[in-house]
Amino acid sequence: MATNPNFMNGVPELLILRTLEARDMYGYELVQAIRARTNQAISLGEGVVYPALHALEAGGMLRSRRKLVNGRTRVYYALTAKGTKHLAGLVRHWQHIAHAVALAMGGTAYAAAPL
Amino acid sequence: MPQPRFDRLSERLLQAGIAPRHVRRYCRELSDHFDDLVREEKAGGAEREFAETRALSRLGNDDDLADAMLAKPELISLTARYPWAVFGIGPLVLVAASVAGALYFEHWLLNQPIGIFSWWTGQPPGPITAKFATQVYTVYNTLVVYGGPLLLAWLLYWLGSRQRMPVGWIVTGVALVCVLGGFQDIIFYDTGCRGCGHLIVNSGLVPPFPNLPVSLARAAMNLAIAGGVWFLLAKRKASYAMALSHTE
Repeated sequence: MATNPNFMNGVPELLILRTLEARDMYGYELVQAIRARTNQAISLGEGVVYPALHALEAGGMLRSRRKLVNGRTRVYYALTAKGTKHLAGLVRHWQHIAHAVALAMGGTAYAAAPL
Repeated sequence: MPQPRFDRLSERLLQAGIAPRHVRRYCRELSDHFDDLVREEKAGGAEREFAETRALSRLGNDDDLADAMLAKPELISLTARYPWAVFGIGPLVLVAASVAGALYFEHWLLNQPIGIFSWWTGQPPGPITAKFATQVYTVYNTLVVYGGPLLLAWLLYWLGSRQRMPVGWIVTGVALVCVLGGFQDIIFYDTGCRGCGHLIVNSGLVPPFPNLPVSLARAAMNLAIAGGVWFLLAKRKASYAMALSHTE
């Protein structure tokens, strides 16, 4: 049986990929979207989101492009096909964990909630 | 709007082996993010100074920002990951590739169906065209043999210094390329009839070690030029750093 040495492993990746699933975003926009989406329950260190973005791009999950917006060049990140597939795997994994935790807590209400 | 400088963070990441393109982009993104945070704080009614302090604290301190990047081994450059390949094997591959590339180009030119030098000189193939072709190829070969190693030395220096590699690796790469490059020679001469030209490649490192004294002299010259340029660059960098420390 697989072990889970660190429950928070993969959380930033999951949040980033899930948020970028809707549309392309640049770093600041992405952090704000994650805060809003998680009702501010999960607040990533704002500057440390970029290493995760760079690593996901290096892994082929995201692609970046520069875009001129209001006279400023922004680096926009977008999900790739590989990233979409990876996200589906992460979602399944997290739903499995959420379900297990909900069972341990004596109910299944939490597990049913979508991400 | 004044933006925080990430020079120290950039230097730390480069020294730790993070690829320069990631470091450059990271610092630019952080600067832009800072700018956005300040705008947000000011829009919420904060004074400029307070908005900047808040923005910096939301962005994270240098240690957090560096640790987040250093936790991603996939962002480490190939130069930092395999210095022995870049500065040890790289010079050999680069010198061999540059000689092969130069030869390929020369051979391709020589095999053009239209006599390119006849067209150039307006003369039919013969002694005049042959002499001209020999002169042109001699200039080209001289540039390749003398300029090539120095260009490659510059490339290795640039690669190593932008990644803040230990000086030992850069010196090894530059010295190897200077020495190996000095031992290669390309000679061409045309005798006047089509297909009678001679294109010769000599390597002073392969038995019977042709023109060994000349090869040694050329290697020494390459080393002296590369060393001289290095010395001047180091001197300029040191005086720039001193000027910067005076202004801080």
